[in-house]
Amino acid sequence: MSTRKAPCRYSKISTIIFALTLSNVIYHGFALSISLRDFECVSEHVLYAGDSVSGNFVVMDHNIFWSADHPGIEFTVTSPGGYLVHSLEGSSGDKFEFKAPLSGTYKFCFRNPASTHETVSFHIHVGHIPNEHDLARDEHLNPINVKIAELRESLESVVSEQKYLKARDARHRYTNESTRKRVVFFTVLEYVFFAATSSLQVLFIRRLFSKSFAYNRV
Amino acid sequence: MALLLALSLLCLTTCLLPQAEAIWLTIPTSGTKCVSEEIQNNVVVVADYYVIADEASQAAHQIPTISVRLTSPYGNNLHHNENVTHGQFAFTTTESGNYLACFWVDTSKNVEGAGPTVSLDWKTGIAAKDWETVARKEKIEGVELELRKLEGAVEAIRENLIYLKNREAEMREVSERTNSRVAWFSIMSLGVCILASVLQLWHLKRFFRKKKLI
Repeated sequence: MSTRKAPCRYSKISTIIFALTLSNVIYHGFALSISLRDFECVSEHVLYAGDSVSGNFVVMDHNIFWSADHPGIEFTVTSPGGYLVHSLEGSSGDKFEFKAPLSGTYKFCFRNPASTHETVSFHIHVGHIPNEHDLARDEHLNPINVKIAELRESLESVVSEQKYLKARDARHRYTNESTRKRVVFFTVLEYVFFAATSSLQVLFIRRLFSKSFAYNRV
Repeated sequence: MALLLALSLLCLTTCLLPQAEAIWLTIPTSGTKCVSEEIQNNVVVVADYYVIADEASQAAHQIPTISVRLTSPYGNNLHHNENVTHGQFAFTTTESGNYLACFWVDTSKNVEGAGPTVSLDWKTGIAAKDWETVARKEKIEGVELELRKLEGAVEAIRENLIYLKNREAEMREVSERTNSRVAWFSIMSLGVCILASVLQLWHLKRFFRKKKLI
């Protein structure tokens, strides 16, 4: 319920508009997968300096044949000023969090050192909590909005963790399915080869003792 | 009164600024750029995309156009747009699986440089919920609306947890089955080995007896 029972109609409208602004600015996040061949970049716009940018990425490659784990990709975050804010190398999935020093467009880049084509599932969340400066600037912003924003950020971190777990679970599923298929396929192949080898052995020994072979030995 | 109006105008203008909800993708001049997401059944998906006009295209007074195609996990074409600069689509998923949205540049116009930048605003589930209609319908506003949103978020978290738990249970079943199969197939291969050698010996013995060598 609104504690601002102002008799003026305009105050109600402005509250609604402000509430909508608040909702638009804070609440968002993605969990998309992008196909990575060599170098891919995703940009995200950060509205306020000092916002906390958090996220995670998981490499969903399931084409590895021999090695036990993915060699890893390179992940970099570039600020609007061109500086490298965050960098990770050789990881097949990790979480990241940093405080945005500037407002503007941040570039999140993935680089694939291997020649195989991969899929990266990533999630980026930009969270803004109104601080005292915003509180002083705007009369309609209560301290309760700050608490609600903090609560929302905590919930968003839980959602972000869930998306990370979901991506890792999908990755494990691929490994499991691949193991199951490999077990069946290689076992059947092994039996077939075994039968073929033993019959070839028998045939060869029979040939050794056949008349034409015996006559050709000098 | 004037201050309130000024504040409302300020809020309205911030609403109309490019929202910080979208990610920007660079579409290569040749080939397609695809984003995908694994979505469950019965989830609302709302997406909005537009080509960002940078200085190069503004100088040339034309915004590059792109084409979009959205496919469901079973291959159905859910949304297809050619040579547009902006568009949106909204649907409720009927199949659970990987939804793929692909962007490509038209080959008719020659685009120089790295290619156009597309701002994609992709929302699924609780993030796609239209809170404005809920606020208008139930006549709630301000703090109550924010708390209602938080309640929605908590519900979504709980549903996600249940989904993750079920997926993990399915995966555990597959793992257990694979584990038992590995054991069985290894013992069976030993059995096949013994059987093959016994058959070989029997056959060769019969052969040599026939040849009167034994």
